Amino acid sequence: MPQRLTGEGDTPATPPQVAPPLDSGAGTKPHPSETRALLLTALVLLAGVALGAAGFFVERGMSTWRPEVTRTAGGWRVVQAHRAPLGGLALGGDDLVWGCGPSIVLMDLSSGRLKLLGPGPASRTTWDPAASQRYVVWFEAAATSVGEASAWVYDSATRRRRQLATLGDVLSLPSASGNRAAWCTTTQGGGPGIVAVDIPSGEQSSVAPEYGVPVIDGDLVTWPTRTGPTGMPAAWALVDLAQDRRWSMAPAAMLSNADFLGYDLSGRTLVWGETDPASGRGRVVAQNVDDGVGSVIAEVTGGASLASAPSIDGDLVVWAETLADASGSRVLGRRLGGGPAFVVHDVDGRVLTTAAGGDTVAWLAQRAQTTFIETAQAPR
Amino acid sequence: MTSWTRRRTPLLGPFGVRVLLWLLVELWVLNVADLLLTRYSLSLGFATESNGVMDYFFKSGTVQAVAFKLGVVTVGTLLLWRVRRYRTALFGAALLTAVFAAVVAYQALWVLSF
Repeated sequence: MPQRLTGEGDTPATPPQVAPPLDSGAGTKPHPSETRALLLTALVLLAGVALGAAGFFVERGMSTWRPEVTRTAGGWRVVQAHRAPLGGLALGGDDLVWGCGPSIVLMDLSSGRLKLLGPGPASRTTWDPAASQRYVVWFEAAATSVGEASAWVYDSATRRRRQLATLGDVLSLPSASGNRAAWCTTTQGGGPGIVAVDIPSGEQSSVAPEYGVPVIDGDLVTWPTRTGPTGMPAAWALVDLAQDRRWSMAPAAMLSNADFLGYDLSGRTLVWGETDPASGRGRVVAQNVDDGVGSVIAEVTGGASLASAPSIDGDLVVWAETLADASGSRVLGRRLGGGPAFVVHDVDGRVLTTAAGGDTVAWLAQRAQTTFIETAQAPR
Repeated sequence: MTSWTRRRTPLLGPFGVRVLLWLLVELWVLNVADLLLTRYSLSLGFATESNGVMDYFFKSGTVQAVAFKLGVVTVGTLLLWRVRRYRTALFGAALLTAVFAAVVAYQALWVLSF
């Protein structure tokens, strides 16, 4: 006889509990364990991100090319922060470029942002860069002793860097203007040669089968020839690439026994600096390459001395003078269109080079063991 | 009697398997991010691929590089998922995800700073 399961008499059995029907889960909160799993994986992810970010900032802090950059009333001040001095100053468009040890560094003049352009991982040596409105061109090599270097270009419009050409011995620094660059290197025959390169295509053309340190602006390439013991040229060689025409020009307004400081070209005007070590007299000369007419832009006398070669862009010529009391230097400018020379900036140190680009003036100077670059706007 | 594998590598519970699944998903996504950032950095001309195998595939072509990189990591994640019962799979996935996250963070900062 079956036994009763309950001892409570004939009470009706409780209805069985029915589980609610399963749904798709949509619109419901994730299960706590799911949330915990996601949190745990997020922690792993965060740990990795923190490690990567720390590595990035440690590496950045250890870089030896990064200078101290501060904005000034008229522009920027870039001060050498490590042992390697700054050098090889160039202005192009909105960019200021310089060398620091083997590093080629670019600074965006509007933001002050720095960019390391070179050298690439296979190179240890670089040469001073050149800049046009859009491009920066420089040479790299595995070592200075190797007779083969490569030319590299940075395109500020696309923010890309690429190899432009291979060259033999580096016989001059590059010069850049618009879409072209020019330099002197050993040719296939073994002798020196000046070449021009179309930067977008990389196509090279021979300018002259001879040695020279060329400067290019637009279609015009020039270099000094038959330089004497003081470096003063006996003539300027000029090549118009568009017209495939070559001519030479005797320098005008020369000082006797003067040391040659350097030269620059813009449009049809060539400028150079010369200084007579005996009298201390210095001179900045501008000469039209078509008619050969020269004019003295600045005469430096009275104990002051011409400190750097002049630089020209458009109608603006800039140069630097060391003050008569040797307390510092000053950067000066003059418009070719007319008007007297004006002081761009007083510099607490010795100016080594100057550069002009549009209305922007930049100079590289040294004070004690520290080099620095400053920029300012030239008055109109 | 417990097998040797069981004694050496403790088994994962359902929660651990869930964590492993999410880690593998993250790993795969980070791999794609690494690929895109590397390709972009190489196209800028400033970076070089330090991994010799990937360097070979990048030089062979973008399609080959994409196929190899996605293929290798996909196979790897599937293998880890296949051995999901073991705790070692979870540790391996966590380590790989952290390393990939570090690489991607480094590259992203480099690109942003450029």
